[in-house]
Amino acid sequence: MELKIETRDGVSVITVEGKLDGNTSAQAQEKIMPLVLPGARLVMDMSRCDYVSSAGLRVLLLVAKQTASRGGKVALAGVGDEVKDVMEMTGFGGFFKNHPSADEAVRALKAG
Amino acid sequence: MHRIDSHPTHKHAKFDLRVGKPLPFGATIVPGGVNFSVFSRHAASCELVLFRKHEPQPYAVIPFPDEFRIGNVFTMVVFDLDYEELEYGFRMDGPFRPQEGHRFDKTKILMDPYAKAIGGRDVWGKIPDWNNVYPHRARIVYDDFDWEGDHPLENPIEDLIIYEMHVRGFTRHPSSGVKHPGTFASIREKIPYLKNLGVNCVELMPIHEFDEFENSRISPVNGERLMNYWGYSNVGFFAPKAGFAATGKFGMQVDEVKALIKELHKNGIEVILDVVFNHTAEGNERGPYISYRGIDNKTYYILTPEGYYYNFSGCGNTLNCNNPIVRNMILDCLRYWAADYHVDGFRFDLASILGRDQNGAPMHSPPLLETLAFDPILGKCKLIAEAWDAGGLYQVGSFPSWGRWAEWNGKFRDDVRKFLKGDEGALGGMAQRLQGSPDLYQSENRGSRASINFITAHDGFTLMDLVSYNGKHNEANGENNSDGGSDNLSWNCGWEGPSTDEGVRRLRAKQIKNAAALLLASHGTPMILAGDEMGNTQGGNNNAYCQDNELSWIDWRLLKENDELFQFFRKMIAFRKEHPALRCIDLLNRGNSSGYPCLSWHGQKAWNCDWSAESRCLAMMLCESGALAGRPNDMFLYVAMNMHWDMHGFELPVLPGGLAWHVFANTDMRPPHDIWEVGQEKAAENQGEFLVGPRSIVLLTGKPRT
Repeated sequence: MELKIETRDGVSVITVEGKLDGNTSAQAQEKIMPLVLPGARLVMDMSRCDYVSSAGLRVLLLVAKQTASRGGKVALAGVGDEVKDVMEMTGFGGFFKNHPSADEAVRALKAG
Repeated sequence: MHRIDSHPTHKHAKFDLRVGKPLPFGATIVPGGVNFSVFSRHAASCELVLFRKHEPQPYAVIPFPDEFRIGNVFTMVVFDLDYEELEYGFRMDGPFRPQEGHRFDKTKILMDPYAKAIGGRDVWGKIPDWNNVYPHRARIVYDDFDWEGDHPLENPIEDLIIYEMHVRGFTRHPSSGVKHPGTFASIREKIPYLKNLGVNCVELMPIHEFDEFENSRISPVNGERLMNYWGYSNVGFFAPKAGFAATGKFGMQVDEVKALIKELHKNGIEVILDVVFNHTAEGNERGPYISYRGIDNKTYYILTPEGYYYNFSGCGNTLNCNNPIVRNMILDCLRYWAADYHVDGFRFDLASILGRDQNGAPMHSPPLLETLAFDPILGKCKLIAEAWDAGGLYQVGSFPSWGRWAEWNGKFRDDVRKFLKGDEGALGGMAQRLQGSPDLYQSENRGSRASINFITAHDGFTLMDLVSYNGKHNEANGENNSDGGSDNLSWNCGWEGPSTDEGVRRLRAKQIKNAAALLLASHGTPMILAGDEMGNTQGGNNNAYCQDNELSWIDWRLLKENDELFQFFRKMIAFRKEHPALRCIDLLNRGNSSGYPCLSWHGQKAWNCDWSAESRCLAMMLCESGALAGRPNDMFLYVAMNMHWDMHGFELPVLPGGLAWHVFANTDMRPPHDIWEVGQEKAAENQGEFLVGPRSIVLLTGKPRT
């Protein structure tokens, strides 16, 4: 797994490439958490992520909850159908809004 | 701050270790590693065996150093494990002396009795590798599900309308129209249906991990693969059935079940689990080593003096429920499901076994049942016993209860069935059942709360089959029709099996409505078998435990075909919810301002029921006080039951001034005149007498004339 972090219009866009699983989720968490600053707006671009395990979903939820508790917002982008389905069935889906692309997610966060 | 005990002290090969904590049992994620803890009283030594998920051979075997044993518990922390990809088991060395109860085999890899998730049957029905050295593999789970304030609903038991379902059978049929047929996730998709029907509690047939391939074989009759479809045979007590989860292949069944329960609760629906603590999937002395047999056979099972397995369960072995170790395991298990899964209650399969001592003899005050009755964590959970076992113990009405235990009321089923088919001498029994079975539950002041009323359940005919078959038709089970109960008290309405005869079909529909009316107008908690509300059939098979096919899956096309049945159930449920007099546990002690008895019996003559054996006419009147129902005035409910093959006139009791009889339901009428929406009842033309059709039930409400 690789993480790419960039800033677009004041929003941090984190692109996850590869698998977000038990092997990689701790590392992902370590890299993302410093971005969770008061009022932060984060987009997790999942369009290049082909697998999210239970541990991976927990990282996403942790980031979302921490961000929200600091007055910020997280949006997902490009989540594949299968991952979306798994998130829905395991109760993780309800915590996120998914957008077709990172740009649209950025726009939504800026608008909201 | 780091804990000062979170660093390793020992090493084995590349693994860092330290002594673990004996409690909790099982595998627990701790800072830096995993704490393993397993009991065995008689093992001389124990090894931890580690696999990477799905790999055929272990990648590590770590012996528990002797200094890591505390009492009879082997415990160890192993650091730096990728627990998402991990499967673990134990190997135990000890004596193999069956006559003394010991069956240790140090070559077998054994599942942790406290495994919170179990791999090996991740996808339902996928043919397993029969040479797997470790077929049912313990896994580690995250227990940090975000419940967002969810809480068990804690509705009074008398307000429940229980809906018994098989997780797979409920939506597996292609006609169910769900995304992932046969799974926990798809029950969520059906929540709008359940709400529309009006049920407020689902009772799930076993969802603990079991092996659908246990005793799997090909039917000699139709070539179908017969499986352990029902799952009354636990592999593990703490793990949900992975094959019932759409996400089982990703190992996420725990979250899927929790997400389902959370959503059901959001919609006001409670969840009761059918739990099977009477035996395990290890069978008798010829069965496999899965866990308990190899961990401490003598502790976990009730054995004969010669060391063979007692078989009070009818399934090969009997769990030693009143051994303190096993008792604690059961308690830990129920607490776990109540606290971690927010389950609202439990129905205990063959619960009478839980009251047998270590030699199999029934006990007066069984410690396990008492412990569960008074346990603080289970304090608000419903506890429901199937109050009999396969060893001949039958305790309906006498199950040790401490005021906490309810029972599946088998007498209700039998008496209603007799009455329904017009047997002689069935009136007295029916009257008892209608008022919550005081003959069974009054003596210890248990009241109607102790009575779970049902006419059909997974075990036996569906309701449609009850009115379509005189005898069982279990040939497809491959046991020459010798399995399943033979005493079904059923009546086929004149033709065995499906019929195109309009008269037969009409009568069957009527009998189903009669059954629904009796069930939902009786005191005690009603339980409906899923599918009965749409006339689901199993083709006369009354023991479909092995039929994972269209025989047992609910056919949702019937919902359209039998809409009149669904509407009747739906409206009867609404009627029950509207009228506390049908649910109230102390109706007889409630006064009313009308000066009428709270409950009275009638017949063809008002205030004068003919109780003779030949009589098949009975009427019950309830006076529902305004105070009880939160209305300004009293209301009356009158149920006229004519199970005779001729029409009879029922003289109606005179109502207080200003009130008139209104028809809510009349099963003799065709839809839409068979039942009305609650509150839309139609005033009866003749206020003095009601002609009740042959084999028909009429429900009237006495309220101000509309």
